[in-house]
Amino acid sequence: MLTFVVRRLLLAVPVLLGVVFVVMLTIDLLPGDAVTLMLGEHATKDAVAKLREHLGLDKPFLVRYLDYVGRVARGDLGRSIQQNRPVAAELADAWPATLELTVAALVIATLVGIAAGVASAVRPNSLFDGLARLGSLFGLSMPIFWTGLVLIVVFSLWLNWLPVGGAGSLSHLVLPAVTLALPSVAMIARMTRSAVLDVLREDYVRTARAKGVGEFLVLARHALRNAFIPILTLLGLQSGQLMGGAVLTETVFAWPGLGRLMVKAIFARDYILLQGAVLIFALAFVLINLIVDLSYGLLDPRIGRQG
Amino acid sequence: MRSRGSRLLIGLLVLGLAAILVPSAGAQKRGGTLTIVRPTDPVSLDPNLETTAPGAWVYFNMLEGLLTLDEKVQVKPALATSYEVMSPTKVRFKLRPNVKFHDGTPFNAAAVKFTYDRALKGTPPARWASLVGSMDGAEVVDDLTVDIVTKEPYGPILRTLAMYCMGIVSPAAVQKMGADFSRAPVGTGPFKFVEWKTNTHVIIERNPDYWGDKALVDRVIFKVVPEEGARMIALQTGDADMVLFPSPAQLPALRKDPKFTVHETTGIRVVFVGLHAGQPPLDDVRVRQALLHAVDRKAILDNIMEGSAGPARGVLAPGVFGYKDMQLERLYPFDRGRAKALLGQAGWTPGPDGIMSKGGQRLSLSWLAARGRYPKDGEITEAIQAMFKEVGVEAKVQILEWAAVFQQLRGATFNHHLFTLGWVTSNADADYSLYALFHSKNTPPTGWNTSRYANPRIDALVEQARRSLNQTERERLYGEVQDILAKEMVWIPVYTTKEIIAARAGVKGFNIHPVEYNLALWKTWLDK
Amino acid sequence: MNAWARFRRNRLALVGLALVVLLALSAVLAPWLAPYDPARQSLIEKRARPGAKYLLGADEFGRDILSRVIYGARVALLVGVLSSAIALVGGLLLGVIAGFAGGWLDAVMMRALEILLAFPYLLLALAIVAALGTGTLNTTIAVGIWGVPAVTRIVRGSVLALREAEYVGAARALGAPSPALLRRHILPNIVPGLIVYGTLFMANAILLEAALSFLGLGVQPPTASWGLMVSTGRDVLLVAPHVATVPGLAIMVAVLAFNLVGDGLRDALDPRLRGSV
Repeated sequence: MLTFVVRRLLLAVPVLLGVVFVVMLTIDLLPGDAVTLMLGEHATKDAVAKLREHLGLDKPFLVRYLDYVGRVARGDLGRSIQQNRPVAAELADAWPATLELTVAALVIATLVGIAAGVASAVRPNSLFDGLARLGSLFGLSMPIFWTGLVLIVVFSLWLNWLPVGGAGSLSHLVLPAVTLALPSVAMIARMTRSAVLDVLREDYVRTARAKGVGEFLVLARHALRNAFIPILTLLGLQSGQLMGGAVLTETVFAWPGLGRLMVKAIFARDYILLQGAVLIFALAFVLINLIVDLSYGLLDPRIGRQG
Repeated sequence: MRSRGSRLLIGLLVLGLAAILVPSAGAQKRGGTLTIVRPTDPVSLDPNLETTAPGAWVYFNMLEGLLTLDEKVQVKPALATSYEVMSPTKVRFKLRPNVKFHDGTPFNAAAVKFTYDRALKGTPPARWASLVGSMDGAEVVDDLTVDIVTKEPYGPILRTLAMYCMGIVSPAAVQKMGADFSRAPVGTGPFKFVEWKTNTHVIIERNPDYWGDKALVDRVIFKVVPEEGARMIALQTGDADMVLFPSPAQLPALRKDPKFTVHETTGIRVVFVGLHAGQPPLDDVRVRQALLHAVDRKAILDNIMEGSAGPARGVLAPGVFGYKDMQLERLYPFDRGRAKALLGQAGWTPGPDGIMSKGGQRLSLSWLAARGRYPKDGEITEAIQAMFKEVGVEAKVQILEWAAVFQQLRGATFNHHLFTLGWVTSNADADYSLYALFHSKNTPPTGWNTSRYANPRIDALVEQARRSLNQTERERLYGEVQDILAKEMVWIPVYTTKEIIAARAGVKGFNIHPVEYNLALWKTWLDK
Repeated sequence: MNAWARFRRNRLALVGLALVVLLALSAVLAPWLAPYDPARQSLIEKRARPGAKYLLGADEFGRDILSRVIYGARVALLVGVLSSAIALVGGLLLGVIAGFAGGWLDAVMMRALEILLAFPYLLLALAIVAALGTGTLNTTIAVGIWGVPAVTRIVRGSVLALREAEYVGAARALGAPSPALLRRHILPNIVPGLIVYGTLFMANAILLEAALSFLGLGVQPPTASWGLMVSTGRDVLLVAPHVATVPGLAIMVAVLAFNLVGDGLRDALDPRLRGSV
């Protein structure tokens, strides 16, 4: 178990190195440069050159890459170019907000998705099943930024129940979390429905039913438990999607998270800050997938642990 | 006000007391929290690192310079009480006594020298080091007397010192806090710093030991709300008292609603379509003039800006020193017939697809623009693109993000004919714009002569005006520059910004400033 | 029962198919269907409410929203179809190479894919668009590249599974060369799954194009893109909700249509895939 975890984490190192390389190269290839942007319209050529030199931006790409990797290895994420502030501090400010939003969305998506999926599967082709399936298709088909706007108009402007944007209290969290969760609710509901349906068709479930085991117990003990593995896989993938989708949600709802930080960093060509943020994302992605893989083993000991 | 150079620097300063002794109107109430929503978080709260509005709005209330610009864009004293011109390159300032920084340390000549040394001679220099022209630094004369020195005679020096970003910082705090100073600045202003939560809010509170009239509200919260619609809802629901960059489409309704007040004044930014004068077919002045006749600027002001901007009367905004009305309405009225006639004179005739052509070449212009950098910049670009088509000019618009646009504009070669840009004359002195934008030596990559326009007469005039300390003479020279530009037309000036802030009616005593950065909140009070 | 018969029995899928056909028709016939030139401005009629002259109202330039929605179908379909093609062809090639080559090449390719997958997808698209420049074609390429890693994974997995499967092993023993093996045994097994994936990907591609245009990195004016229409319409959401709502609905309907067809195809072509793609 421990060796498995260690091996997986070691395998993640080249991936993270690669991620940093790609981010840095991308920013380098993009037109535009952090310093000219920072100094604005009025800057003289001389001032730009001085600041570039001061920030070490005049060094060749590979030197800067090795420099950065070396510093990260020593636990130093550097200082953001634009704000001259430790990247670690910037991330510490933004990361909890994104975590809060993503976790809230994931909880909503999981609870609502599984409940709707199970309800659909128990009475396939009923009215509820039809509505739920159609509803989840709509959920999948709505652009996240548009859903957000519509929710703002309805719940903030017309009903005045919830705040428009920003963070701080639970009521601030509701709209962005729901917006972000919607496509995942749909995915999870669909997946749960088909997984539970498949399990319900299995022989051992039929046997259990035949033996007179109550419907609820059949569901809880057999169907749901076995349906959990595909659902879990999906959750792992969804959490990646959620973090990605958070960029749009955070923009619409003024949520002070990593997504907005990254967009800001891209537009400012602040590659140091961007790399820090992407590293966190990538690390989270790797960890989530590791946890998903580990929980397979816990749920079903038959599944071996292949890296 | 003493002024030994008599003709020089004509009575720009009034004794500081006059400003302070203005009787306060009505029954002002003290206390309360003023909540302001605006689209973006500051880059920094240290002017050395931040010259853009999101930071300036906040630090303008905490840091004060020697001088300041009042709401009529006139130079007024702040931390200096009087000045004296010692030589063409040296101005001596008497400093206000008994002023303390928020950290309790005294304000004095050494602090002035420290601030300007840090900004101009530090590594790297301040972000605003490029904005101050020939300014060289400060020399301490005695504890409350300081000399400001320029490298050469520099006409705009007083307006430059009055810029929003010239605030004096506490040397003790800078030394103690190091890099952290940029997140929690210490100055002498009417408000002092409390808290900055990144991308959420900045809080400042009344400085109880302020040397002048103390601020009326207890604290001010600047919240970040990027969505325009969301900002407006926040105002309506009472989550915000004041909205910066309100939605123009909603202003007519707000103006009628007694629950709200719309504060507005003409700004000092001109947004324009730049014409690449060095590149055919725009090297032909008749083609450039034809493009001006093709644009219905009034329709843009009425329907796209919707009253949130004023007409552009030239390359400068009316509040700027040296401004002269370029008579665009009279010289280049919206007239498609004249536009086509001018194109005809230049040899362009309608082609089979309705687009003008000459020698088999279609009149197709490439256009570079950003969206969201200046108010409705993408929209005016799209509108003018359609207007050009009506006179047989095809415009191929490329909207890129600002970073890419910026890089191309400042590049040694520019492969587009047109570009959408805005320019703010931050110190309200014509030098700041006419020298930077039209002197041929400022052609990119050196400077911002993005029209790549070269005219030796203009070069001579703007240089002479920059070196002169005689303000009447300077005004005349700048007038001549604008007369020449009115004939040459290397821009299509589209609008002059209006500074607009929407507030709840209970927000009283607020005076809006033509310079967008100068958001003064210390006279504002809440009637809730 | 053949696939089409199975598909035909699925009423929702048929609705989806009808919507897709409608979408395709409006894209092809846009010049005849649209009541106005989609770029024609009439500033004075800005944000006109839906009515007799403008059935779905006018946008902030007084352009007919109905005409722009009809023309917008062109961008949506173009981006959807082309980017799916890029994703499928690219993924197929890479997946087959990785699956057949095995060894270090496979390992390197899989690491590279992991890097791309660990990248927040919007950031990846943003970076590609920013590097290539905006415009319909570049947006398409960005969306297509975004889809490559997932397709590669699917194809590689199938190739590995099939290669180990008995009948291929038998074919190999008989001396069938690799290209023939690929054509005769592996492709027929992969293609149905890919068609399904491609259809569902089109739905996502339309969403991503809209998202990129929403962030200002999509198509160029005066081209009508639904995402751009929502993006510019959101500033007037409170005074003229129809400007952003109508194109938002268009996106939803188009995406829904492709999702319905994709679901139907999956059930029809390969019942085993149900719920797993």
